[in-house]
Amino acid sequence: MVHALREVHRVLKPNGILIDLRPAAKHRRVGLGAGKHWQSVGVMRETFDDDWAANRAVREVLRLRLFRREANSEFDLDRVMDSTEDFRVWLDEFVQQGNMPSHEWLVQRLESKKKKQSEATKITVRGPLMMGVMRKLERMKRE
Amino acid sequence: MALIVDPARDEVRALRKAVNWRGKRVIEIGCGDGRLTLRLASLGPLQIQALDPDAKLIRAARKSLPERYSQRIHYQVGHAERLKFPPNMFDVAVFSWVL
Repeated sequence: MVHALREVHRVLKPNGILIDLRPAAKHRRVGLGAGKHWQSVGVMRETFDDDWAANRAVREVLRLRLFRREANSEFDLDRVMDSTEDFRVWLDEFVQQGNMPSHEWLVQRLESKKKKQSEATKITVRGPLMMGVMRKLERMKRE
Repeated sequence: MALIVDPARDEVRALRKAVNWRGKRVIEIGCGDGRLTLRLASLGPLQIQALDPDAKLIRAARKSLPERYSQRIHYQVGHAERLKFPPNMFDVAVFSWVL
């Protein structure tokens, strides 16, 4: 990860901006409905090892003065799906990528709650994204 | 699968606030199927070089590239650790869910 950040430093112009956009290390919440009408059904149990590693890499390039942090923010990002089958497909991909435990308990809970709602009720996975904004510095600290 | 990511467009709103994108040369690393790339293009950069290591996703991104962005967005297979660009080329770099 530090190598990738060094590569980006190389291709950025002086004073260029790096935006690090990724999910925050917080558990995603799964619910029924969308927007303001969203109701929580369960909280996922992701692991955050990759997130900690990414944070360490960013700290390292800041320490080396490759970049200077300009801003940090966090905001919710929704993923809206039509059916529990859609949710299952999304979850399977997510579990494989993140080496996570099975979330079958959550699918079952969602299925049972969704049966009591209208057919049109959406499933929404809500989880914050973090956005780090960093500016390229020219002078690098000696390692 | 029917999946809509960020229907409220909070992500692009946050990006708009972070940088003045107009006329900028942008590199997006980890563009996937181009979902965020198209939203970035709507912010007015001069050019976006969008990279992803997955050739299948790049093919999908190229297929869904609207004509109006075809001169400004360039999709290519690429890795964050080996960027095939000269130094000092871009004004803005976006790590899109990569780190």
